Amino acid sequence: MKYHLITLGCQMNISDSERVSAVLEKMGYQKTDNEEEANILGILACSVRQKPIDKVYNKIARWNRWKNKRNLITFVSGCVLPADKEKFLKTFDFIFPMSELAAFPDMIREYGIVTPAGLKAPQPVMPKNEHIVDLWHIQPKYQSTYEAFVPIQNGCDKFCTFCAVPYTRGREVSRPSGEILEEVRHLVNQGYKSITLLGQNVNSYGLDKNGEEITFAELLRLIGEYGKQSGQEFWVYFTSPHPQDMTREVIEVVASYNCLAKQIHLPMQSGDERVLIKMNRRHSMDKYRKIVADIRELIPQATLFTDIIVGFTSESEPEFQNTVAAMHEFKFNMAYIAMYSPRPGAASYRWENEVQQDEKKRRFHELSEVMKIHTREYNQSLLSKTLRILVNGTDRKTGFSTGLTEGKISVRLDRRYDSLNGQIVDVKITGVADFSVSGEKVQTPALPKNERELVREK
Amino acid sequence: MMTDVKQQIKIDESFYKVENIRKLTDNTISLSLPGSRFKYKAGQHISLGIHGNYQSREYSIYSGANDKNLEVLVKEVKDGYFSPKLSHLKPGDLVEVHGPFGKFFIDEKLIPNNKFVFIASGTGIAPFRSMVRTHANLDYTLIHGVRYSNEAYDKHEYAPGRHILCTTGDKNGNYHGRLTGYLNECSFAENTHFYLCGNSNMIFDALEILKEKGFDRDHIHCEVYF
Ligand SMILES: Cc1cc2nc3c(=O)[nH]c(=O)nc-3n(C[C@H](O)[C@H](O)[C@H](O)COP(=O)(O)OP(=O)(O)OC[C@H]3O[C@@H](n4cnc5c(N)ncnc54)[C@H](O)[C@@H]3O)c2cc1C
Ligand code: SF4
Repeated sequence: MKYHLITLGCQMNISDSERVSAVLEKMGYQKTDNEEEANILGILACSVRQKPIDKVYNKIARWNRWKNKRNLITFVSGCVLPADKEKFLKTFDFIFPMSELAAFPDMIREYGIVTPAGLKAPQPVMPKNEHIVDLWHIQPKYQSTYEAFVPIQNGCDKFCTFCAVPYTRGREVSRPSGEILEEVRHLVNQGYKSITLLGQNVNSYGLDKNGEEITFAELLRLIGEYGKQSGQEFWVYFTSPHPQDMTREVIEVVASYNCLAKQIHLPMQSGDERVLIKMNRRHSMDKYRKIVADIRELIPQATLFTDIIVGFTSESEPEFQNTVAAMHEFKFNMAYIAMYSPRPGAASYRWENEVQQDEKKRRFHELSEVMKIHTREYNQSLLSKTLRILVNGTDRKTGFSTGLTEGKISVRLDRRYDSLNGQIVDVKITGVADFSVSGEKVQTPALPKNERELVREK
Repeated sequence: MMTDVKQQIKIDESFYKVENIRKLTDNTISLSLPGSRFKYKAGQHISLGIHGNYQSREYSIYSGANDKNLEVLVKEVKDGYFSPKLSHLKPGDLVEVHGPFGKFFIDEKLIPNNKFVFIASGTGIAPFRSMVRTHANLDYTLIHGVRYSNEAYDKHEYAPGRHILCTTGDKNGNYHGRLTGYLNECSFAENTHFYLCGNSNMIFDALEILKEKGFDRDHIHCEVYF
């Protein structure tokens, strides 16, 4: 018996899908990439944009056509908006929130009865996250042998006006710190090199527990201490933090431990005060500036990534130009720029979408060009340095190996080193492009732990 | 398993029965629900749904944190989808409540030594009524911008001199003209904290005026409705 799982959207869904796989494989199902030979077909949906939701509708229409030819079970989970949930109830055999994953085997065994999520009694529009802890108890089946995502927090209470996550994922719930540390230790013991702590508001960790759980800074410190004792080389990232809850203490802790990667993803969304207010981002540009100043002071070698939306509802040209100015000011190493599109369920969906698509495209291109100036300038500064690189695959065009620096700058290597996949090696940077660098693997004698810092990016 | 699942058919604790409806103007009501099953801070909002409808909207809590009932102030928006449905609710109807949400509340430590200026357009007054009913000894001034003076929802509840009504459509308020016009003429003590709520254009204009008057963004808190 085989299962086929389609995962759409963000890293959170990818992490959740590892737990879905674990549950199905424990039941004896084997994974297949070929949907035509599967008996269980599932989708982890994403509601951030319309396209992935359209994909869910297309898939289920196709799968339902196969139903009179063979025995099939279909399910959908992940981020599903209430309006889509209503429709999916009619087309999928199962629809359940991730927090009910632990009960999934029972649902399959009792196939034919409605699932709790499908009952017609008054069911809340907003998912309750109380049982999310059951999801975290499931040991995931990691997709990679050297890179893993560890959920530490789920849900969001921030209500940015462009985002529907609070309606699809429910309230902020933090995972017990003991479990997180256990999972991180387990991964390090297994030789994992890149571990990303995941959460919709990763640095709001613990705040929902009103003092009964440690803070995000304290969690990082414990991981840092463990990293020190372990004697292993690995990099711990976290995403996505919210500027509102970003403290100097978090930055101090990242600065203090080798295993806490010197890469910070800090979504800015807009460089304009008014747009930030309309987005309900709850921080001023001064607050953002202060955080970046703290990062630059305490971790000068850190790379800085961000998310930006252009063309939000009524964004004017001068407001957009403030974002351009911010791009020059903060010199991001990477900005994930999105053209605003109203998301069903989000507050701004109801507001007029005043900026024309062509204008959004223009702003997107203008901002991308500005970003390029700064990414290239930074990449240039890496030239002839020797950096630690995590080898993570092969370049489709050249067939040569690729990797990432600790700061998540993409590196193209001089040839193919299959045996090094998942290892951290020394690479001398010999070439520079807008969004990547290239280099040659060099032989470096293994360094004692405390000297590794010397060969990090400065 | 069958019975286990069936047992879960019960009214979820997120559902509340409407207890009372007060009509404040032709198109604005105060919807009163039983006391909330959660603790909230004055200024926070809830998300409100109607049983049988998968949509929901956000509404600031209009009651004080210690009041017996949970109240919201709802204006029926012309051609709106949801607010007209709320306006047609009757006592006994089932609504779905989630929350409390948001950070638009006062840091209680600031209350003894600071002044508070609340600036609201229309139903943006809702969180401020909650704050005034919750915190005794609040040194506040509420500047409320509306079109007509009958939109001064529950004005009688505020202490004399603390509620400044700015009206553009009639001359029955304390100030005839836009709220921002009044704000321009005011001067405020240095230890003032500002809370702005309602229409985003009003908030942006007020923000500029306050910044020009030399107030730091850290002292200005905003809650945008639309
Ligand atoms: C945090 C937050 C708190 C809120 N608190 C309140 C509250 O206490 N009371 C309240 O009445 N509304 C409040 N709102 C607005 C409310 O959520 C709905 O947007 C409003 O009721 C309109 O919903 P609708 O479905 O009828 O209109 P839709 O069909 O969604 O149409 C929306 C349009 O209505 C207009 N609009 C939205 N709100 C108002 C309003 N209050 N007055 C005039 N025009 C409006 C906007 O132009 C918007 O484009 C709040 C919004 C937010 C984000
Ligand atoms: S964008 Fe805003 S609302 Fe959406 S998940 Fe992030 S913090 Fe929460």
